Amino acid sequence: MSDPVFRGGLAGAKAIDGSISVSAIDDRGMIDLRGDIKDKKFVAATKKVLGISLPAQPRQSVNKGEVTALWLSPDQWLITCPRAKGAHLANGLQTALAGIHSLAVDVSDARSIIRLEGQGAKEVLMKGAPVDLLASEYTDGYVRRLRFAELAAMIHVVSSDPEIIDLYVFRSYAQYAWDWLAATSTKQSRLSLFANQSIASV
Amino acid sequence: MTGKPYRLPDDSGAGRLLDRSKPLSFTFDGKKMTGYAGDTLASAVMANGRRVMGRSFKYHRPRGLITMGSEEPNALVGVGTGSRREPNLRATQVELFDGMTSVSQNRWPSLDFDVGIINNHMSRLFPSGFYYKTFMWPKTFWHKVYEPVIRNAAGLGVAPDGVDPDSYEQVHVHCDVLVVGGGVAGLAAAQAAAANGKRVMICDETPRLGGIADISNELIDGKSQLDWVREQAASLTAADNVHVMTRATVIGHYHHNYLMIFERLTDHNPALAAAGAPRHRLWKVRAGKVILASGASERTMTFANNDRPGVMLSSAARTLVERYGVAPGLMGLIFANNDDAYITALSLKRSGVGIARIVDVRENPQSEIITAAQDAGIETMFGHAVAGVETSAGGKQIDAVKIAPYVKGRGRVVNEITVPADFIAVSGGWNPVAHLWCHNGGKLQWDDTLACFKPKSHDDDIAIVGSANGTMDLAGCLKEGYAAGEKAGGKARLKKPRVVVRKQAPVEPMWFSPATGKYNEGNKHFIDLQNDVTAADLELAQREGYESVEHTKRYTTLGMATDQGKNSNVPGMGIIAEATGKAVPEVGTTTFRPPYTPFSFGAIAGTQRGKLFHVIRRTAVYDWHTSQTSVMEPVGDWRRPYCYPQGGESQQDAINREILNVRNNVGILDASTLGKIEIKGPDAGEFLNRMYTNMFAGLKTGKCRYGLMMNEMGFLMDDGVTAKLADDHYLMHTTSGGADRIAAWLEEWLQTEWYDLKVYVTPVTEQWSQFAIAGPNARKVLEKLGSDIDLSHEALPFMAMATGDIAGFPVRLFRISFSGELSFEVATPANYGQDLWDKILEAGKEFGIAPYGTEALHVLRAEKGFIVVGDETDGTVTPHDVGMSWAVSKKKPDYIGKRSLEQAFLTEPGRKQLVGLATTDPNEVLPDGAPAVESGKLTGHVTSSYWSPTLKRSIAMALVKNGSERMGEKISFPLADKVIEAEIVDPVFYDKEGARQNV
Amino acid sequence: MLEIKCPVCGVVGEEGDFHGGGQAHITRPATDNPANISDEAQRDYLFMRHNPKGLHFERWRCDRGCGKWFHAARDTVTNEFKAYYSIRELPPVELMKAATGSWAEYFKDKMVTK
Repeated sequence: MSDPVFRGGLAGAKAIDGSISVSAIDDRGMIDLRGDIKDKKFVAATKKVLGISLPAQPRQSVNKGEVTALWLSPDQWLITCPRAKGAHLANGLQTALAGIHSLAVDVSDARSIIRLEGQGAKEVLMKGAPVDLLASEYTDGYVRRLRFAELAAMIHVVSSDPEIIDLYVFRSYAQYAWDWLAATSTKQSRLSLFANQSIASV
Repeated sequence: MTGKPYRLPDDSGAGRLLDRSKPLSFTFDGKKMTGYAGDTLASAVMANGRRVMGRSFKYHRPRGLITMGSEEPNALVGVGTGSRREPNLRATQVELFDGMTSVSQNRWPSLDFDVGIINNHMSRLFPSGFYYKTFMWPKTFWHKVYEPVIRNAAGLGVAPDGVDPDSYEQVHVHCDVLVVGGGVAGLAAAQAAAANGKRVMICDETPRLGGIADISNELIDGKSQLDWVREQAASLTAADNVHVMTRATVIGHYHHNYLMIFERLTDHNPALAAAGAPRHRLWKVRAGKVILASGASERTMTFANNDRPGVMLSSAARTLVERYGVAPGLMGLIFANNDDAYITALSLKRSGVGIARIVDVRENPQSEIITAAQDAGIETMFGHAVAGVETSAGGKQIDAVKIAPYVKGRGRVVNEITVPADFIAVSGGWNPVAHLWCHNGGKLQWDDTLACFKPKSHDDDIAIVGSANGTMDLAGCLKEGYAAGEKAGGKARLKKPRVVVRKQAPVEPMWFSPATGKYNEGNKHFIDLQNDVTAADLELAQREGYESVEHTKRYTTLGMATDQGKNSNVPGMGIIAEATGKAVPEVGTTTFRPPYTPFSFGAIAGTQRGKLFHVIRRTAVYDWHTSQTSVMEPVGDWRRPYCYPQGGESQQDAINREILNVRNNVGILDASTLGKIEIKGPDAGEFLNRMYTNMFAGLKTGKCRYGLMMNEMGFLMDDGVTAKLADDHYLMHTTSGGADRIAAWLEEWLQTEWYDLKVYVTPVTEQWSQFAIAGPNARKVLEKLGSDIDLSHEALPFMAMATGDIAGFPVRLFRISFSGELSFEVATPANYGQDLWDKILEAGKEFGIAPYGTEALHVLRAEKGFIVVGDETDGTVTPHDVGMSWAVSKKKPDYIGKRSLEQAFLTEPGRKQLVGLATTDPNEVLPDGAPAVESGKLTGHVTSSYWSPTLKRSIAMALVKNGSERMGEKISFPLADKVIEAEIVDPVFYDKEGARQNV
Repeated sequence: MLEIKCPVCGVVGEEGDFHGGGQAHITRPATDNPANISDEAQRDYLFMRHNPKGLHFERWRCDRGCGKWFHAARDTVTNEFKAYYSIRELPPVELMKAATGSWAEYFKDKMVTK
């Protein structure tokens, strides 16, 4: 039989060109990794397989080459890599972590990723997320799990200048999140905060 | 008044907001009118010689505008047409645009002639509490007679037709300091707060900053207040750390400085809405500190027929002249108890509006501004009060004002004089706008000097400055503003402006001016204009024993209209105080609750409308399902296919066909919504032992076991099959609805109680598409697809699982069955789900495969007597109750719910147990939830009930008292139109030995 | 809408991003010996809660953040959070001293300053 046909959670979603640009990322592999960061064996084994040290600080990420480790919790990370390498990397982790209390699961299909690009990406997210996205820590590499459009979601600030933010949502919610972004990122609803305001009437 | 020249000429200096080069046309009650850019609807209507803008709620008396802004009780209008018609807007806030259609409210058939005015003449029939007193009897009259009549006569505007064409949104913003109110005090606070780089927001409900600076007469740094405001507004909007908002009302203050701001983006300019801009935006703001500079609102003084069109607040008259170039009338009388009204007098005089005189209740007030008014030739009359008005044209036109000597507490006077005038500008002093202060528990205290409630204390990090704080002088407003700003933003090196302090004569509170005549004989003293509550109503309520102000409010409806008593609360309490001989603070304070002003449902809904109304979860096969069936069933947030009708098939026929196809051939079900949780660690087995009622320790790798989960109270909360993937590694299945809850439940126990257990838990529901392939031909379908897994019964028996490859797809394969048939559940990563589904259907074609929906699934399981947690259980049902004592371990030392299950009340006889029901008439299907009644007592209820096409009869399950001991007995279920009889039977209706799934 | 800080990951967020877990410092009797627990003790464990006006000890989960449970002490009148501390810890001694009802009983012999 032919190879399985891949169909992501946002298959058929056409990129949106509004106040910012919104597009779907389908080709990313993801591994949910749990373990004790104080366990030297766990740290060493993961570093050997991933080529990076897991971030220990909350809401940080570490990237090298194709692999990025996003902090989820004091004992949980989301490892991202090119999709083609996801299963291989997950197997590598499971093998290297044998006998070490940990859990590494390939969850490449569990989430959909929506990329927001352009000045105003944060303002679009602020229409759905009750967090202070204008705070100074939201800079390159910052990760935060949050509630977006009433959904469990996570953002990863890929770059703050130019503004690129990846929004992670669970696959079953992807279309809803997409429709939400389409509704709130229209050119007419652009939101300009603090700077760039025109002079108020008196 | 029609046709008279109420628009003041350009060269009068009046009307600073008007752009007279831009005339606008609009309609009011169908009549074509013109105004200018800069007008409000109220000012434009007034300029067209129209003073009556609505009729009152109860008595349908003609009413004109009273105030200058959002506190307006009278001039309520509907604006727009069709689906864009919005009722109950305050005309004083509505910014005029070209082509506006507006209508007055509470009048029928027209504003000039209103049938409801009869209520005015019958007002002795409408005393306090008239609803309670009049419409109580006979009871049967309420629905058919009283309610429809009241609903027709009462009510405010007309709701829009059709779907709202506009869009709305919300936004969450954090700031260090939020300044509420853009007047002088607010601007000073924002400047100081922002000076050190703090993130500052300042907002004002009007279209512009400045508050009443433009209608004030004092100077700041030798400049007009307006010029000073212009400078501040420019520098604040230019600052990168300041966000300035206008047309933005802070409508609520909640815990920990959480506030909601209602911003109107397009109401003043429909072209923006037509282009697709959001109409309203609701801001949810978390502020480190809040500075309230919400100003003060002027209050009226009560005299006979003080509601007649033409009686307005002094500030409203001044605003009409100064901002909109509209004369409130030809000859005005000013009625005051404080100095502010003298600014109005001077303003009117300067603009060429006639002033009959100033009537001041104070005996001998002395101040600069009073002298200035006298010097300008304005006649003053001290120690007097307005006692009433003489009107014509059915109360729509004021002809003269009655004035009587006034001595506080002296009561009715007779020696009055009459002065011709056609409008009255009243100033009874100013009340701090402290609503937001009170929303989240701020306290008020009575101030005798100002005769108002002013802020006292607050638990939140919130400051209140300027007139909102009872500081009524300019110098004080600036000082408090800067001080609060510095406290919030850090010591700022700002050059503070200089203000020449002018001494004012103190205000003298005056609540009630007695009339020469009797109450209710053409002499109504209105307190609450919007709800038509009079001084007589309040006094009646006191006589009838409504001593508490809260009771009086509810009995008379004082302060309960859409303006929430902004104008009426303090005068109302003043009247009650006088009537009861108490001081105002003894009468009580009022509680202000959000919202500060009404706001739109659109803003509340925000983005969540239409397809975004509620979250919808979609499986990987969702698009295929919706292409095959329109019958989707909500299961939690998921949408699952209920059944797949073919051709002209009915839903019931489709369900029957799908069931029989599973029993006879093979069916496929999208079971992806089932919860899936990976559980791993050296203590994973022990952990499962504690979470489930039954044993998991002995489970072998590659095998599955059904588990029951109780809460700590011993009641069933979930169930599902757990597979052992490796020595220390399990995969738990939960119910579809329970997936998130159970994952959190496991985490909670691991983190808070059994943190010594070495176990990690990760939910993986979303990772997998999972399909049940069920029926005698199930194995043949998989064999045709090809697999590296040995699919034989010997290698992969019932309740076994394997990992491998099917048709090139990576899969987990489970021999589990919820239908009682030979069944495989196959899971593949979700992004391959649709393709695997397609390939299974293709391969299964020759074996008669057909998809089945959730209803077939439910019937199939009910035929087998399998429970559904949530159908057979309701949060008070134990494993013993549903006949699953076999799954309750006696050996395990501890598991969740174990101790509770042994509590006396859960073990005593007489509990309900799960049974099957066979109706005496096999064609009769019991309704879900039908009650069993025996000897007049409720002894059970139906938990699931279906037509079984397999058995060609109805089947049902029920919880019945002592049911397990009553096999073969008949019980009856009385319904609305008949009684259904059924025999208590074993809940397993089909294949009791379980042979069919074990092949 | 309260604003809450998670002591585990340090995130500050809206109440809606957290999950309230009710009264804190309730001992689960059955964990040690389910057979020896009286019906009354089990009832009290399941249903009896202390609901004072003032200092309240409670459990929260950083639901949309790190997912960890923690303890908080909050004044139910002012809504001020007096302390956040680990799910495995006792509150600061001065708060234990101010505790009322069943908490006072529970903390009585635990106020050991390190």
